[in-house]
Amino acid sequence: MGPFDPSSAAAAAAAAAAASSSSSSSCSGGSAPKRHHHHHHHHPPPDLDGLLAGAGYKVRSSELHHVAQRLERLETALVNSAAHIPHLASDAVHYNPSDLASWVDSMLSELPSSSFSSPCLPSGFPDPYSPAAAALGGGWVDHPSCSPHPQPHQNVVVPQQPQPQQQQQLTVVTALEEDSGIQLVHALMTCAESVQRGDASLAGSLVEEMRALLTRVDTSRGIGKVAGYFIDALGRRMLGLGSAPASAFENEVLYHHFYEACPYLKFAHFTANQAILEAFDGHDCVHVIDFNLMHGLQWPALIQALALRPRGPPLLRLTGIGPPSPDGRDALREIGLRLAELARSVNVRFAFRGVAASRLEDVKPWMLQVSPKEAVAVNSIMQLHRLLGSDPPRDPPIGSVLPWIRSLNPKIMTVAEQEANHNRPGFLDRFTEALYYYSTLFDSLEAACPVQPDKALAEMYLQREICNIVGCEGAARVERHEPLDRWRARLGRAGFRPLHLGSNAFKQASMLLTLFSTEGYSVEENEGCLTLCWHSRPLIAASAWQAAPTVVNSPAGVINHDDNNNQL
Amino acid sequence: MVHHHHHCKEKRPKFCINDHVDVLAEILKRLDGRSLCVAACVCRLWSALARNDSVWEHLCFRHLSPPPPSSVRPVVSALGGYRRLYMVCIRPVLSRLGRSRRAELPWRVRSREELQLSLSLFCVDYYERLGNGSGGGGSRFGDGSASASSSLMFLCKPVNV
Repeated sequence: MGPFDPSSAAAAAAAAAAASSSSSSSCSGGSAPKRHHHHHHHHPPPDLDGLLAGAGYKVRSSELHHVAQRLERLETALVNSAAHIPHLASDAVHYNPSDLASWVDSMLSELPSSSFSSPCLPSGFPDPYSPAAAALGGGWVDHPSCSPHPQPHQNVVVPQQPQPQQQQQLTVVTALEEDSGIQLVHALMTCAESVQRGDASLAGSLVEEMRALLTRVDTSRGIGKVAGYFIDALGRRMLGLGSAPASAFENEVLYHHFYEACPYLKFAHFTANQAILEAFDGHDCVHVIDFNLMHGLQWPALIQALALRPRGPPLLRLTGIGPPSPDGRDALREIGLRLAELARSVNVRFAFRGVAASRLEDVKPWMLQVSPKEAVAVNSIMQLHRLLGSDPPRDPPIGSVLPWIRSLNPKIMTVAEQEANHNRPGFLDRFTEALYYYSTLFDSLEAACPVQPDKALAEMYLQREICNIVGCEGAARVERHEPLDRWRARLGRAGFRPLHLGSNAFKQASMLLTLFSTEGYSVEENEGCLTLCWHSRPLIAASAWQAAPTVVNSPAGVINHDDNNNQL
Repeated sequence: MVHHHHHCKEKRPKFCINDHVDVLAEILKRLDGRSLCVAACVCRLWSALARNDSVWEHLCFRHLSPPPPSSVRPVVSALGGYRRLYMVCIRPVLSRLGRSRRAELPWRVRSREELQLSLSLFCVDYYERLGNGSGGGGSRFGDGSASASSSLMFLCKPVNV
């Protein structure tokens, strides 16, 4: 359970949207007005609080504190004197329920003069510029006889005795912070929705408000941290900045630390290697094509496993694709040399070839120099999703890349992708999915890697992805993650059929995860594919494919042999 | 130790283990890792014996049945030797796995999968040391903190059981 999950988020959003405590508190009487949920598409008048206006209540910003106090007193009164004021519960008629301030005042004035001390906010408490909901959070806690109701993310401890002032202040602050977290989420959703509608000015002002909210939340962990990244990304989108351009060197450093800090890449590498090893069984000439070489961290383990093959190692050729190096240094070749040295140490005949291309779609099959006698493995770790975007009217390059992969007739293609749907056409859908996914991811990072600087740099790596998903469109948006089902359909249409990853891969992955110093990771098997999960939320999916046999006697040549007509 | 006068004709020979190096080696082979390290501190002879890689090979795979193929030895030697394999990979791997299995004895490679995983991690460790060692390559990967085998740092962190 991450700091954010959809079921509690829905409840949380509802709680935050309620201007009064009555909609979610079991304590208050039934005299609260029905929540009017007008969908305002115009701006509220400037002196009215924006967030409450979105929920249908007109409250002046200057009066927020006053209204909050009054609502608390009303709640206290209703609970304590429920027996004495039944008329308030059933007979109250509100002619203008959206005018929160006046009806609260009128109800309070009808109450018998209070013989109990109403727990107002302690006078020493700084007046927060925040909607009434935040102050009401304090009200919930302060109330002595209010039974604790399990709100999501609120482990509110309700004092049974009137507490000393200091304690009250402390508990108020905690509830305030948790409440701020919920408000942040609600504000993020509202902002994303306004972006989708094209309401740039509302979105912009929401970003400012959220930045202010952030100061009241712990941004070193949990929802505060994730929300901070999303707010930045939204801010960048408003300014039309997109994601910050990054040099290949920066990418490599961040990638390396991401590899160190958490098991996702290791899981993908080890699982792919196991599948490739099994596919290469019996072949003496093998050729691996890596779509993103980086530091080549995947290949030492494969080289070593091939060295220990019962009938001796094959001749291994590795073709590594990567971005060109800017300063004349041949990074690809350096990696190749390192791998060659390792292969030499363990007596594996090895040949390396580097293909420098800034985009995968620029690579042409002839550059790879595949020989017909060798068994080919194509390895794509988090690369295929980058081919799904394009600037219209051009088609996404995936349509041209998958066929040429197929034309190489690979013995196996190993694919690892993020298990999330960040490629939906609607911005709000994408945003919500991404918020959920990255919250889970950051949660796992927090637990798995307490070591700096790995963790901070790994988070930067993820932050870039967030910026891209939220801030970019068209060809610039490369982080177009899609879930396993869609990849299955897409690869099926392109002429591939799935290869089941065996139990060896499963066992190895499970063992690998056990090594990480935290409970919470698990491996799940999903129709022959393996997914890495954090508390049963799948995060990364690894799968293997082979070229489906072509239908003979077809005039068009290669026909996609689709057994299951999966339509998207 | 029985004391004898020097002039006694039939003095029984004192038994000193250091005179019987092969027996000593056999004994050391049966120790666990920690005891082996302690043994290496006794004297120079013991230290030399304890550093012998074959002793550590025995330690690594003594409970593996069937024993690993002969092709493993040259690979492990090339990648840094059995002692390093034990210290860097096998010991932490098995302590983690053993903890998760709870009842089982730690430090014993029982299955081929554990062997394979340890060897793979060991190979990555070697590869990263290659990168840190080479001139100019270190600054790219080490970020100044040129600790070797950073990808295995996750094994060094305390386990949050």
